[in-house]
Amino acid sequence: MKCDDCRNLLADYIDGEAIDTEAEQITAHLITCAGCTSEFEALTAEQDLFARYDRELEITPAMWNAIQTRTAAESRPVVSPSKLNPLAWLAGLFAAPRFGVAFSGAMAVLIAAIVIGVMYLRTHQQIVPSNESVIAHTPGSVPPPPIFVAPPSPLKVKASERMPSEYIARTKNSAGSNVAILKTSTETDQNDVLFLPIAYTEIENKDTANHIAQAQNLLRTIRNIHLDNEGDQVDVTYEKAMSRRLLDENVVLRRDAETSGKYPVKDLLGDLEPFLIDIANLPDKTTLKELGAIKDRAQKTEIVAALQSY
Amino acid sequence: MKRLAQELSLEGQPGAFAASLMNSSADLVARASEGDQEAFRLIFERYSRPVISFIYDLVSDRGLAEELTQETFVRAFRNLGTLRRETKLSTWLFGIAKNVAREALRGRIRDNRHVDLDDKAVLDLTDHQPVPVNRLLNKELNELIQRSLALLDDDKRLVFTLKVFQQCSYEEIAEITGFSIPKLKTDLHRARSEMRKRISPYVRFES
Repeated sequence: MKCDDCRNLLADYIDGEAIDTEAEQITAHLITCAGCTSEFEALTAEQDLFARYDRELEITPAMWNAIQTRTAAESRPVVSPSKLNPLAWLAGLFAAPRFGVAFSGAMAVLIAAIVIGVMYLRTHQQIVPSNESVIAHTPGSVPPPPIFVAPPSPLKVKASERMPSEYIARTKNSAGSNVAILKTSTETDQNDVLFLPIAYTEIENKDTANHIAQAQNLLRTIRNIHLDNEGDQVDVTYEKAMSRRLLDENVVLRRDAETSGKYPVKDLLGDLEPFLIDIANLPDKTTLKELGAIKDRAQKTEIVAALQSY
Repeated sequence: MKRLAQELSLEGQPGAFAASLMNSSADLVARASEGDQEAFRLIFERYSRPVISFIYDLVSDRGLAEELTQETFVRAFRNLGTLRRETKLSTWLFGIAKNVAREALRGRIRDNRHVDLDDKAVLDLTDHQPVPVNRLLNKELNELIQRSLALLDDDKRLVFTLKVFQQCSYEEIAEITGFSIPKLKTDLHRARSEMRKRISPYVRFES
């Protein structure tokens, strides 16, 4: 990848909007290109800056009270046209004077044709499987001519009823197991404990708590790295990988916290994020100076104490 | 990051969390559209902060942002029946908020809304060399971003706010704004450049 291409896509890459192949190319390019890495760091630092933007807005109870006052009178919102009763709509069409008797008659014929068509199709669909099942279990029988569509005669129905008991049992079993599977699936979809808001909240809290505990450990590890001389280096590959993983989680958990109105958690995760970004962006062999900047900021902002108090 | 976010994010791709939350939002919408005030209050609690932040970024006025947030939720309540099942509630609310904010701004003279960079708070910053980002006080930073944002033109500010502050995807921004994705990408790129140009004299990013 060329530098120009990389720089054009860097913002998308940071926002997670780059497609997978582009993202892989950018990642590979960033390892080898100092100029693009510098641009990447500048963009990340900007994101960090914007993440600190606090509008100092408050959601006061008065706001909800005002909304409630205005909406209380409307016990039901305006019903959209799509939610109108189809029968009422149909009746309205017939009642429309501009169409008159001719249109009503045409509609009646059309509806009758549709009903007959549906009945015919349903009858037809019932015959085909019964023919197939008979053929399947009487290997020597001759298939009926394709142009002949037999009506559902009592004889045919009887023939299917006389199918070997093993086949019937297997069919029932098969159908029964299908129903069971579907039922299980439906139960999982509709009644699973995860769908209860309380259960979800518990899971979310647990995830956040785990995340914060891991982040705390990471920051403590960074804080406890001691280098004596400016020229000394320490390998932080593991910490970087951990930080990247936590950063991914942090973004999601912070958004979820904000969406569900847990603003203290959102703020805490927002405060944590710059540290994760900084650690993730450390060189593999880090020097005292690079670590010192993170350590100083961690000390100044007391982030570890804030995480511990969660 | 995107993949993980999609798995876990609200109303995203199928996944335990997303599915449960989606169900929860759908449930709240269904109950609220039948006139359940408590369900609507929960929607308000969940979405009021992103909505008021978004509106404030567009109008740069706290009092007005509060009024317009109220108006947004009142309109949302009245029109819950029109919310399509496949539309994210947050996207839909941002769409209403954008319309409400634009209507409110339509009557105002553009220059009155923009902040003059001779403003005292900004001058205080210019008295010094660019400050390292870590030493910039939160108050100074907030003023700087707010003023820089107010200088963007309407389309760029709208796209920038939705992407950078509300972290919407391109598809969501396109749905909220009605812009094509190429247009919003161009606006976003220009908005980022302008923001950087306005912020860099005051802030020094330490590498």
